Amino acid sequence: MKKIIIISLFSLWTNFAFAAGTQYDMRVDGLACPFCAYGIEKGFTKTEGVKSVDIDLKNGLVIVKTEEGKTFTEDQLKEIINDTGFTMKSMTEKPI
Amino acid sequence: MKRSRPINLLLGLLLGTSSFPIFAHDPIFGIGPHVLFKGGTEVALETHLERAGEEKESEAGLELVYGITGDWAAGLELPYAYKKEGSESSNGLADVQLFTKYRFWRQDSLGLQESAAVMFAANLNNGDEKTDPKLGNGANDFIGGLTYGYEGLKWYRWASVRYRYNGENDASFHAGNKTLVDFVAGWRPTLPEYKKADTVWLLELNTEVGEKSELNGTKLANSGGVESFLSPGIFWTLRNFAIKAGIQIPIYSNLNGSQEKSDFRAKASFEWHI
Repeated sequence: MKKIIIISLFSLWTNFAFAAGTQYDMRVDGLACPFCAYGIEKGFTKTEGVKSVDIDLKNGLVIVKTEEGKTFTEDQLKEIINDTGFTMKSMTEKPI
Repeated sequence: MKRSRPINLLLGLLLGTSSFPIFAHDPIFGIGPHVLFKGGTEVALETHLERAGEEKESEAGLELVYGITGDWAAGLELPYAYKKEGSESSNGLADVQLFTKYRFWRQDSLGLQESAAVMFAANLNNGDEKTDPKLGNGANDFIGGLTYGYEGLKWYRWASVRYRYNGENDASFHAGNKTLVDFVAGWRPTLPEYKKADTVWLLELNTEVGEKSELNGTKLANSGGVESFLSPGIFWTLRNFAIKAGIQIPIYSNLNGSQEKSDFRAKASFEWHI
């Protein structure tokens, strides 16, 4: 019983300690070349709190991971994508 | 019929002066609707070389472009020219160009972007006119253009039209205005992956229709006409770096009077987006 409690407490601690930030998966239209898509990476990485940006051209996916406490609204994401010359169609978010 | 040397020199100035800075994934000799991301800067080194009979010109230019919004960019080109005609040669700063492009329509879908843009450029008259051959034409020239682009993961196509209005210099010489029409196709042999090198092959059909030049209000017989070029080219990009190169091969020429036909023109550039 004691062992289970210790494992549970450790599990809770790791969740709080390492569950940081959010992952945004965006479906972006207009992505046809990697050189042009660089603008998306640049648009996000210059924003404070963005940890990483991955782009899948074939599937029109942009995946942005943020640091703890950093969140975006859907409108903010749309605006960043629009400023780089593309169109965000939809997005999902999940904690990481 | 042999042209006089001053007129030869003036007409020589018209060679290669219809260029417009290269933007990202745009054609090499024609123009496309590409702009730059908001707040982005493009630094490009561009060189072009051309020959028409005894007239040879090579030019290296530094281009700086800034993305004002996601659909509007502006910049300038600082060209350094080396010109040679017969035994005479000159080199130095040529006419500086200021330019802007606005993408007024954009239709995005999965892996595809269709768009259209208008562009405007002004060539200043700062180039030295006292050299032989002259490095500048002594007049302010203006270029307006309209372009459409279809850019997919596998195929590209563009169409554009430009009109160049040439000013009159102090010697009362007015270089003939020019209309440029371009059709371009592009093919990417391998589907692109972000952060990996990407290659696109291009084939352009460039046509230039020149009006007759005027000296003291008199039209010059040996000026103006039509030239068409078939122009293979390549884009090679890796992340925010791009290398582009192409060559214009003349396929049709109907120049008025006695004028040197273009032998070839070549252009290459290195771009860096920051």
